[in-house]
Amino acid sequence: MADAAAPSTGPARPHARTLRRDARLEQLALFGLASPALILLLAVLALPVGWLFYLSFIGNDGGFSLQHYERMVDSKSYARIFRTTFEVSLITTGLCILLGYPLAYLLSQLPKRMAALCLLAVLLPFWTSLLVRTYAWLVLLQRRGLINEWGMSLGLWSEPLALVHNLSGTLIGMVHIMLPFMILPLYGSMRAIPADLLNASANLGARPSETFRHVFLPLSMPGLFAGSLLVFVLCLGFYVTPAVLGGGKVIMVSMRIATDIELFVNWGAASALGVVLLVLTLGLLYGASRFLSLDRVLGGGSR
Amino acid sequence: MKKHSPLLAAALAAGLTAAGPAQAEDSLTIASWGGSYQEAQSKALFQPASAAMGVTVKELTYGGMSDVRLQVQTGAVSFDIVASGSGSAARAGAEGLLEPLDYSMIDVSDFYDGLAQEFCVGGDVFSTVYAWNTDTYGDEGPQSWADFWDVEKFPGKRAYRAKVAGALEPALMADGVPPEQVYEVLASEGGIERAIDKIRELKPHIAVWWSSGAQHAQLMKDGEVDMTTGWNGRFDNAAKDGAQVAYSYNQALFDMDCFAIPKGAPNKDLAMRFLAEISKPEYQANLPNYITYGPTNRAAYDLGKISDEVARMLPSHPDNVALQLPIDTEWYIQFEAEASAAYQDMLTE
Amino acid sequence: MTERNRSKSLPISVGGVTKTYGRVTALDSVDLEIESGEFMTLLGPSGSGKTTLLMVLAGFTRPDCGSVRFGDAEVVRLPPHKRDLGMVFQSYALFPHMTVAENVAFPLRLRKVGKADRLARAERALQTVQLGGYGDRRIDQLSGGQRQRVALARAIVFEPRILLMDEPLSALDKKLRELMQIELRRLHERFGMTTVYVTHDQREALTMSDRIAVIDDGAIQQLGTPRAIYDHPANRFVADFIGESTILPVTRDGADVLFAGTPLRLAGPPPPGPVSLMIRPERLQLLSGADAADASFNRFEATAESIVFQGESYLMQARLADGQLVALRGGVRHDYDAVTPAPGDRVALGVHVEDTILLPGADGAREADDG
Repeated sequence: MADAAAPSTGPARPHARTLRRDARLEQLALFGLASPALILLLAVLALPVGWLFYLSFIGNDGGFSLQHYERMVDSKSYARIFRTTFEVSLITTGLCILLGYPLAYLLSQLPKRMAALCLLAVLLPFWTSLLVRTYAWLVLLQRRGLINEWGMSLGLWSEPLALVHNLSGTLIGMVHIMLPFMILPLYGSMRAIPADLLNASANLGARPSETFRHVFLPLSMPGLFAGSLLVFVLCLGFYVTPAVLGGGKVIMVSMRIATDIELFVNWGAASALGVVLLVLTLGLLYGASRFLSLDRVLGGGSR
Repeated sequence: MKKHSPLLAAALAAGLTAAGPAQAEDSLTIASWGGSYQEAQSKALFQPASAAMGVTVKELTYGGMSDVRLQVQTGAVSFDIVASGSGSAARAGAEGLLEPLDYSMIDVSDFYDGLAQEFCVGGDVFSTVYAWNTDTYGDEGPQSWADFWDVEKFPGKRAYRAKVAGALEPALMADGVPPEQVYEVLASEGGIERAIDKIRELKPHIAVWWSSGAQHAQLMKDGEVDMTTGWNGRFDNAAKDGAQVAYSYNQALFDMDCFAIPKGAPNKDLAMRFLAEISKPEYQANLPNYITYGPTNRAAYDLGKISDEVARMLPSHPDNVALQLPIDTEWYIQFEAEASAAYQDMLTE
Repeated sequence: MTERNRSKSLPISVGGVTKTYGRVTALDSVDLEIESGEFMTLLGPSGSGKTTLLMVLAGFTRPDCGSVRFGDAEVVRLPPHKRDLGMVFQSYALFPHMTVAENVAFPLRLRKVGKADRLARAERALQTVQLGGYGDRRIDQLSGGQRQRVALARAIVFEPRILLMDEPLSALDKKLRELMQIELRRLHERFGMTTVYVTHDQREALTMSDRIAVIDDGAIQQLGTPRAIYDHPANRFVADFIGESTILPVTRDGADVLFAGTPLRLAGPPPPGPVSLMIRPERLQLLSGADAADASFNRFEATAESIVFQGESYLMQARLADGQLVALRGGVRHDYDAVTPAPGDRVALGVHVEDTILLPGADGAREADDG
C-alpha cells in the first residue's frame, strides 16, 4: 500500500519502508528481551507497593477510611518515632562517613592485591547473620559484658558504662553493620580516580592536603553520595539492631510497624506507617537530588 | 516434627484400627508461636491427642491474629486451630474473625473462672510476675509492686514491658489501688493516665523495655538489670540454666494462652472435637513436664501426674491463684488501643 | 639560543640518575644538560626510560640516586608541588569536576591569585591556545584537540620556567597532530620556557626540537640537533629508529672500506674498528648514464624488484648484485610513469659521498653508551 501510495519516492529510496520496519522490529525484540526484567520489577516492586497503598486506606470495618493516617496525626508518638528514625539514620550515616572514608581511602591506596585481601575482610561480616552480629554486640557491650569487665578490671572506669540498651548501643551496632555499604561504593569511586589527576594537581602546585580537598574529595563524591544514600535508606527500615540494642528506648518506624500489626490485628495501620515512611524518604531523596544534581554527581566521576 | 514421625505413624495405625478407614482422611492444621513453647504444646497436647483420636496434625507457626484476619477476609482460611493470647483472641472474636466455641462438646466444668471464653478456650495459664536478681537483693526481694517501684529500698536497674498489655495493672497496684479495684480504676476517667503517670515516675530507672519473653529471661541471666517484669515460666527456665533469679506470685497477673478456631476453618467440627480432647485433665497434666505453665483444668492436679513440688510452682496452683489478679479481657477489648497509644506516647517522650 | 630571555627559563642538569624497578633498570646513570630556553625532546620506543626520566624531572618518580638541578637549585628531593613546573600529561589530566576556566585557573588559585585576576589570566591563556570564550564549558563537552589545548593553557598560565610534556599529541589524529606541533613550537618561541618533550614519534621530534636525546634501554643513545641525529646516527639503533635506512655489510682493507669488493668513496676518514654502511632511501638516487663518471657518488648496480606508489613519493626495492635488498625513495611528479623503472629493469643507483654513512659495528650493531 505505502509503496503504491508513494511511487515518486519509491525508486529514489529503495527499501526505505522495509528497512524502517526492520528497525522497528529490532526495537520490539529488544523490548521483548527486557520484558522478564520489567515483569519481575512489576511483580516485586510495583504490585507490593500498590497493595501497601491500598491496605493503608482500608479501615477496620473493611471500607475506605483515613483512620490509620488520622491516628498518626492524633498520637504524639508517631511524629517522635519518625523523628527518631531519621535522626538515628542520619547519625549512623554520618558516623559511617567518618569511619568509612579514611578506610576506603587507605584501601584505594594499597596495591591491588592487598586491597582485595582487605576488602575481603570488610565483606567478611556479611557471611554471618545480622542477628548473630547484633547479639555479639550485646554480649560485648552490656553491663557485665566484655568491654565493661575489661575496662573495670583495668581500672579505666569503676562503674559499668551504659553502652547498650540506648542510643549509643544502637549506633554502634548499626554503624558496624552499615559500614561495608559505605566502603564499597566509596572504594569503587576512589579506585576510578586516575592517578594522573592527582599528579597533575601536585604538579600545578597543590600540597597533598590541597590535592585532597580540590581534586580527590570532589571526585570521590559520587561514591560518597551513593554510599550515604545506601546507608541512610537501609537505616530507615532497620529493625533487628535497634530492637535488640536500643533497649526499647530507640523506637524506629519498623518496630512500630511490628507493634501495630500485633495491636490492631490489622495490616492497615502498619501499611499506613510504611506509606508515610516511603513518601518521606522519596521526598528527602528528591530534595537531595535537587541540591546535588544527581546525574552530575553520579556521572561526572571519571571520563 | 520429623523425629516424631514413627510415633505418629504408629498412632495413625492405631487410630485406623480403632475408628475405621474413614477417619484416615482427618487432618488438622494448628498454628502456634513456635519455639520451646510450641514444642511443649506439641508434646503435652497435640501429639497424644492426635494419637488418641487418629487425626493427623500439621503444625505451623504464624504471626498472630493479623494472619487470621487476612485469611478470613480473603476467604482462604487454612488454619483449623490457632494458639493465641487471651486479649487478642477476645478482640478478634469481637470482630467476627473466630468461631464461637461449643461448650456442650468441650467440658470446662473443672476450669478456673474466666478461662473458657466465648471464642477461646484456655490451653495453659501463666503469670506476669516481678522477678529479681538474687545476687543483688538476696532472698529479701521485692514482695509487692510497691516494692518494685521503691527505688530507695531496692536500688537497681529495672526492665519493663515495651507494650501496654500487663503493664498498667502493676502501676496502679504500686500506686495503692487494691487488686480487686484495678480494672474499675482503669476503666474510669483518667485511670489509664494515672497508671501511665506512675510508670513515668519509674522511667528513669527502667534500663530496658523488653519486647519478648526470651529477652527478659536473658536480661536476668546476664545481670543486665536487677529487676524486671515477665512471664514466670521463662524465669524458671532461666533459673534452671543457672541464672540468679527469683520471682513472686504476690499481686502477679494471672493470664492464659488459649486456642481458637478461625471463622470458616476447613475442619471446624473436627477442630472442636480436638479442643475438647486436649482440654481433658489427662492432657493438661502433661504440660508442666515441658514448661512451668499451669494446666487450665483443675482436675489435672488430681491425677497424680504432677508432683506437689512442681504443682506449687505453677501459676494455677490454688494457693498461687489466690495471690493473683486475673487479667480482664473485657477491659482489653474495650481499652487496649487507647491505652496503647498513651503508652507509646509515654515511651517516646 | 643565547638571545632568548633567560628570566623566563631555567637550565636543567641531570647527573647520574639511576632508577631500577626490581631487576629492571629503567634509567642507567643518565647525564643530560638542557640549556635554558631549549626545546629538548626525549625520543625513544616505549619502555626505553624516556617517560621515567620525565617523571624524575617532575618529581613523581624518586630515582635511586643522582642529581637533578633546575638552574642552581638541587631539586631531586623536592616534592612535585614545590618544583614549579608546567606539565602536559598524555591523558591531559584535566579535572572533570571543574569547568575549563576553573581548570586553567587552578594553579593560580593555589598561588593565591585573586579571583578576578586569575580568571582574566586564565582567559588570556585560553586565548593563547585559541580557546578564548570556552571558559564556561565542561571538560566532557570538549573534543580531544580542545582538551589538549586546555591542558596546555593550564600548564603555562602560571608562567613556569620549565615545561614538561608527556606525549601530549599521541591521542590526536594525524592532521591535528601536525597542526599542534607547529602551534606548540610557536608557543615555545613566544614564552621561551625550557621545554622537555617526550615522544616516540621521530617525525614529531625532528619537527619540533632544538635538540633530541634518543633514549633506549635506560640510556641516552645519542644527543644532538635533529639534523645531526638524522644525518649522522651514532649507531644502528638510532639509524633504525629515526627515519628509514638500509644497512649493508662492508669489509675493511686498511684505510679503505670495501663494499662488494669495491672501495667506497667517503667524505672523511672512517671510524676505527668494524663498520657497516647505512643508506637513507631518499638519499639514494637513480643514476643516468651521464652521471656514471661523477666522482661524488658511490655507484651500485641493481635490479628493480618492486615499486610502490605512496602519494608524494614512491618506494622502490632493488636487489644488488650480491643479492641484498636496498630501498630507494623518489619524488613523484607528472612524469612518474615515464621515469620510474619497471620490476626487472636493471638500474644504476648512486649515493652521494656526504650521504654515505658508516655506522660502528660489523653488522651495524649498537655500541654501548656512546651517547
